[in-house]
Amino acid sequence: MLYIDAGTSFSKIMATNGDTMASLKPICESENKKFYIIRSSEISKLDTKFDGGTGHMSNDYLKDGIEVENEILALAYGVKKLRPELSTMTVLDIGSRDTKWVSFKNGKYKELDWNTACASATGATIEMLCKFYNVDAQTLKANKDKYPVTCGVFGMEKIMDEISKTKNVETAIAKYIHGIAFNAWNFAQKPEKIYLSGGFCESECFVKSLENYCEVEKLGRFVLVCGLEEQY
Amino acid sequence: MGKKKIGFWGVPKPEIIKEYRLKYPNDEFVDLCMLHGAKKTSILPDTTCKIISNIMDNAIHFKDDLDVIIASVGQEKCDSGRFVSRILKDMGYNMVFSTNENYNDAPISIPISTSNLPLGEKITKITANIVEKDNTQYTYCKPQFGFWGVPPNDFEFLKLFPNETHVFGWTRCVEAGRPADTELEMYVDENLPTVFFAQTFCNKMQLAKYLAKKYGGLFIDVDDYATNSTKAKIQAYMRLG
Repeated sequence: MLYIDAGTSFSKIMATNGDTMASLKPICESENKKFYIIRSSEISKLDTKFDGGTGHMSNDYLKDGIEVENEILALAYGVKKLRPELSTMTVLDIGSRDTKWVSFKNGKYKELDWNTACASATGATIEMLCKFYNVDAQTLKANKDKYPVTCGVFGMEKIMDEISKTKNVETAIAKYIHGIAFNAWNFAQKPEKIYLSGGFCESECFVKSLENYCEVEKLGRFVLVCGLEEQY
Repeated sequence: MGKKKIGFWGVPKPEIIKEYRLKYPNDEFVDLCMLHGAKKTSILPDTTCKIISNIMDNAIHFKDDLDVIIASVGQEKCDSGRFVSRILKDMGYNMVFSTNENYNDAPISIPISTSNLPLGEKITKITANIVEKDNTQYTYCKPQFGFWGVPPNDFEFLKLFPNETHVFGWTRCVEAGRPADTELEMYVDENLPTVFFAQTFCNKMQLAKYLAKKYGGLFIDVDDYATNSTKAKIQAYMRLG
């Protein structure tokens, strides 16, 4: 079986029960499952139809009769699948263009939210900033200061101001990332611990910034796609 | 020129509705809060709630056909409704101002809010009853969900709710004939998973967010049309809640 979480920038694919993506090299393998990551702009080249999918870009790549699954449900079922022992928790997923979270208390659903309207300050923005300034996102060091990025446009203005004054691009982007982390923690209702899903798990700058406010446990980029297995 | 019209918004007093029905017997009533295909004007700021924007856009759109506009300007509506009524008067419209804030102690009757009709149909019938009382007998249903809020600009997302959805908030107040009764507006069934809706930029967002937190419901605000993520939140809440 093949499942896809097709985000705006990257797609996460899980192959189960002996299925495989012949043209891709797995990122990791476990329990008869293989996991892949590919740029979403490249999915059409795979010439593959999937058995289940979630995310903005998955609609065109599912087998006939298969409907796109709700991303929050995929996130909720994914964390239950990956960490069945957790009964009280908040899982937060930050994608290219949105932020969503769901919380459980004593094993039961408690709250959720999904923000796309003011999501200019998420993964895609950082990717564009790093490309524009030729900065390797993996080498960014967390900064104790942050920009207010409730409005991504105002946050961007702060970056431009800092760079024009100090010429220190890395510091400016790190402060921006710290602002995103602070926003995400507030958006998720200020939990004591966040189980983090999505591409920001790979950004030490983001994780360290978020740790200023709560404990963080990284679940990686395949939470939603794991949740799909539960839903189809 | 189309058919002559009596524009209105909010919940004007029944006596005023009756008076103007008699005065213009051939006119049709048009709820200016709703979408009627009017072009967007730029008279009001972009940060105006869509319902109030609709009032202004519709007033411009129907201008030559409107004999009169009956405006709800009391606590049953909002400050924005009151201000727009003054702007329209200043622009030359024939305005009648109505306040609908005092009620008798008759028992509250809400057969449509608790009926088994689809949610959109419930809300349509409740608002239609403002100008034309209908005495249909409705069938009560045991609720699975609650919808709290005002009649939205976008009725499409209401299709996500099952027929077993009870109506709360201002819409229930309208059906009860008590549109300024804030106590009734704040009432919900605390054991019922409820979606608390407000139009973006409407002051009722304050109540909606507070009540959603208090009762473990889902707060949503929608500007013009519900986004995919808003619809997904509702779907997820219904399946997880």
